[in-house]
Amino acid sequence: MLFNSYPFILLFLPVVLAGYFWLGRRSNLTPVIWLAAASLAFYAIGNWQFMALLLLSIAFNYGVGHLLIVAKLGPSQRKAALALGVVGDLLVLGIFKYAGFAAENINTLLGTHFAVHILLPVGISFYTFTQIAFLVDAYRGQVARYALPHYALFVTYFPHLIAGPILHHKDMIPQFERKESKHPDAHLILCGIIIFAIGLFKKTCLADGIQPLVALAFDARAPSFDQAWCGALAYTFQLYFDFSGYSDMAIGISLMFGIFLPVNFNSPYKATSIVEFWRRWHMTLSQFLRDYLYIPLGGNRRGRALRYVNLMITMLLGGLWHGAAWTFVVWGALHGAYLCINHAFNALVPKVPTSLVRPVRITGAVLTFLAVVVAWVFFRAERVDWAMLILRAMADPATSVFGREEVAALVLVSIYAALVWLVPNTQTIMGYDHGNRRVGEALRAGRMRPLVLYAASLVLAFGILGIQSHSEFIYFRF
Amino acid sequence: MRGTFTYLRRLLLASLGCVLGAAALTFVVDPLQLFRPSRLAFYSDDTRTQNAGLIRSQSFDTAFMGTSLAIHFRQSDIDRALGVRSLKLAMTGSNSRQQAFVLEQAIDRGARRVVWAMDDFIFVDAADIEADPFLSVDLYRRTTKGIASYLFNAAMAKESLFAMLRSIPPLQHPLARAAPYLPIKFALEDVDDIYALPRDFDVARTYNAKRTLAAFAYITSPVRSRFLGEGYGYDAMVRHFERDAVGLITRHPDVTFDIYFPPYSILQFVAMRDASPATLKIVTEVTAVIAQRLTQLPNVRLYDFRAIKDVTHDLGNYSDVIHHSPVVDAMVLKWLASGEHRVDPKAPLASLDELKTQVEAYQVPRIKLP
Repeated sequence: MLFNSYPFILLFLPVVLAGYFWLGRRSNLTPVIWLAAASLAFYAIGNWQFMALLLLSIAFNYGVGHLLIVAKLGPSQRKAALALGVVGDLLVLGIFKYAGFAAENINTLLGTHFAVHILLPVGISFYTFTQIAFLVDAYRGQVARYALPHYALFVTYFPHLIAGPILHHKDMIPQFERKESKHPDAHLILCGIIIFAIGLFKKTCLADGIQPLVALAFDARAPSFDQAWCGALAYTFQLYFDFSGYSDMAIGISLMFGIFLPVNFNSPYKATSIVEFWRRWHMTLSQFLRDYLYIPLGGNRRGRALRYVNLMITMLLGGLWHGAAWTFVVWGALHGAYLCINHAFNALVPKVPTSLVRPVRITGAVLTFLAVVVAWVFFRAERVDWAMLILRAMADPATSVFGREEVAALVLVSIYAALVWLVPNTQTIMGYDHGNRRVGEALRAGRMRPLVLYAASLVLAFGILGIQSHSEFIYFRF
Repeated sequence: MRGTFTYLRRLLLASLGCVLGAAALTFVVDPLQLFRPSRLAFYSDDTRTQNAGLIRSQSFDTAFMGTSLAIHFRQSDIDRALGVRSLKLAMTGSNSRQQAFVLEQAIDRGARRVVWAMDDFIFVDAADIEADPFLSVDLYRRTTKGIASYLFNAAMAKESLFAMLRSIPPLQHPLARAAPYLPIKFALEDVDDIYALPRDFDVARTYNAKRTLAAFAYITSPVRSRFLGEGYGYDAMVRHFERDAVGLITRHPDVTFDIYFPPYSILQFVAMRDASPATLKIVTEVTAVIAQRLTQLPNVRLYDFRAIKDVTHDLGNYSDVIHHSPVVDAMVLKWLASGEHRVDPKAPLASLDELKTQVEAYQVPRIKLP
C-alpha cells in the first residue's frame, strides 16, 4: 500500500487511528497489537507473498534476542548466538537481494549460464538492518527485555516498514510502551497532518512533477550537454523530494499516533562538505553504518590510513545495500573517495583564515553539490557504461542544443534548486524536535497560526490532487 | 484541547475547499477542451492526453495516425496535399491497441477517412487498453472516473491557473510568448504546431548520414543487438493486427483507410539481417500477412514505401535507422495524393519481395565514426 494513494489516506489511516485510540481507552497492550496487526495488513496489501518471510524474520530475531537478553549464556555462547543471528539475517538478505547479482557475475567470469530469478521482498533491507542493530545491542547488554507485541510492532510499524527511517529499538519501544501515546493528542494530530501534507506535496507534486525530465539524460541514446545536465539535476531533485517526502509522511503519520520518528533529512543539498552531506542525507542509514559498521571496523582509532580503508569499506557496503548492481558499487566507491578526500583536506588545512571562511564555504557547497550530482548519475543509470556516456555528455558543452524543451527543463530545474536552497526544511517549519519529543510549539502558542493552517490546507489539497494512479517511492526498490 | 480540534477541523475543511476550488477552476478553464471548444485554448505535446480533447473540440473529416514516424507532420500540410480537413492523432511509441482505440473515438466523432502510418512494431506489445497506464480510456469516454481524474488533478489545476493568467489582457502577449519556454504543458498557440518541427528547423543537422550510421552501429553493437528483436513474436503480432487493425477497419466499412508502410532507411532491415535474422524473418512474414489481408478489404488502400530505393538508401534522409526528415514527410503526402506505390491487390507481396532483394544485396557504407 502506498502513502500517496486514496485508499490509504481516506480509509486505512483513519480506520487504524480510530481503532488505536478506541482501544487505548481500554488497555495499554491492545493498541500495540492492533497497530502491529494493521502494519502487517499494510505490508500484506501488495506484498502478501513476502509476509511469511517477514514473520519468520521477526520470530528468528526475537528468539535470538531472547537468548542474548534472558538466557544465562557464557561469553562464547553469547558470541555464537550473535553470530547465528547476524549471519542468519545477512544470509537471507544475501539470497533475496544478491543471489541474482552473484550469478550474473559468475556467468560473466566463467561463461556459465546460471539463471537466478528471485523477487526482492519489499523493505527487506530496512527490517534486516533494524533487527541486526537490535541483536548487536542485545549482545552488548544494552537492551532490556521487550514483549513480543512491542518487538513485532518495532519491526513492522507501518510508517517506516518499507523505506525507513531505520529505527532504533531504544528510541521506539519505550514510546510504544507509553500510555499517553494511546490517547488522541489534537496538537500532535494537527502537526502530524501538516507534516504528512508537506511530505505528500513533495512526493506527488515535486518529485513526480520533475520525473519526466529525468528521461532527458537517462533514456536518451546520446544526450546533449544541456540534456545530460538537466536530466542529472532533475534526478538529483526527484530523489531528494521523493525520499524526503516519504520520510516526512512517515514522521507525520507516526506523530498522529503520538510516536516521534527520527529525522532522516536535514537539507542535504545545503551541505558545505561531503562529511556534512552524510550528516544530512538519509541520516538514520548514516548513523547505522557508523555505529554498526564503521566503528566496529576500527573507525578512526587505528591511524589515518586505516581510517580511509574503513571509510571505503563502509561506503562500498553502503552502496551495495542500496542495490545489487555495479552502479551502486561505483556510487559507494565515489562517496568513499569523496569522504577520504574531505578528511584528508581537513587534516591538511585544519584552519581556514577568518576572511576566507565564507568563500571557502560557498566553494565547498558548490563542489559538494556537483560531486553528489556526478555520483547520482551512477546511482540512477542502468549500467556503468551508460552512466559514463551521460557524464561524457555533461563534460562536452559543444553538444548543447538549448531548444524549447531544454530551456523549459532548465527553468523547472531552477525552480527546484530555489526550493531546495531557499526554503526551510520540514522540521524547521514545524519545529520538530525528535530528541525532546516536541513539535509545533510556535503553532501551539498561536504565533502564525492562521498563516500556517491555510498554507498547510493548500499544500494538503495539492498533495492530494497530485496523486497519480500508481507512483511508487524510489526507495521501495532498496 | 478542544481548540486544537477546532484547528484540525478548520485545516481539513480548508483543504476540501481548496480541492473543490481547483476542480472548479479546471472545469471553467478546461485546458483540454473536453467540455467545450475555446478560441483561447493552447495545446500540448502530450498527445495521449491532448488527443482526448482534440477529438471533441476540433472539426475534421480525416484522422491521421502513427507513431513517432508520423509525429512531425503538420495538419495544414496534410490538408493541402490531400484536400481534406485532418486531425493528427499520432502518438510516439504507441501500440496498435492505443492507435485503434483513439481512431475509433475519432471515427465516432466524424472522421470519414483515416490515414494510418502502420509500423510493424506497433503489433509487438499491445496490452489491454482498459488497463493501459499511459492512455486513459476513461478520459476519452468521459466517464465519471475520467472526468474526476481530469478535474481533481494538480497538474491540470496548474495549467488552468496559467491559462487564466494568460487570458488577462496585459499578461496575454508576454505569457503566450514565454509559455513554450516554461514548464507548462499547454504551451502551443496553434493546433498545427503539436509536435511539428519549427519552420526554421535545421534539417541537415538532425537528419544526416553520420547520425544514421551512428545509430546503426549503436543498435547492432553486440552488447545491444539482442534488443533488436525484443518482444517480436509472429503469432502475437498477427493476433494484434487482426484484433486492432482488421477489427477497426471491418467495423467501419463506410470509412476509407489509407494505410502505408513508412519508408524506413534500408539500415533498419540490414540491422536485423546482420544482428537478428530471426527478427527480420518475423517482420517480413508479418508484413506479408498484413499486405495480403489489407488488400482484400474493400475500404483499404495500402501503400508500401519501404522499397523506394531513392529515399531509403539515401541515409541523409534520416536521424536514425527509421525516423525520416520532413522532406520525406512531404514525399509521403505526395505519394498518398497521387496513389503512387499503392500495393496491387493482385500482387500484394511485390514490393516486399523487392525490399527483401534490396536488403540481401545492401552493403553498409564505411564511414569513420567518432
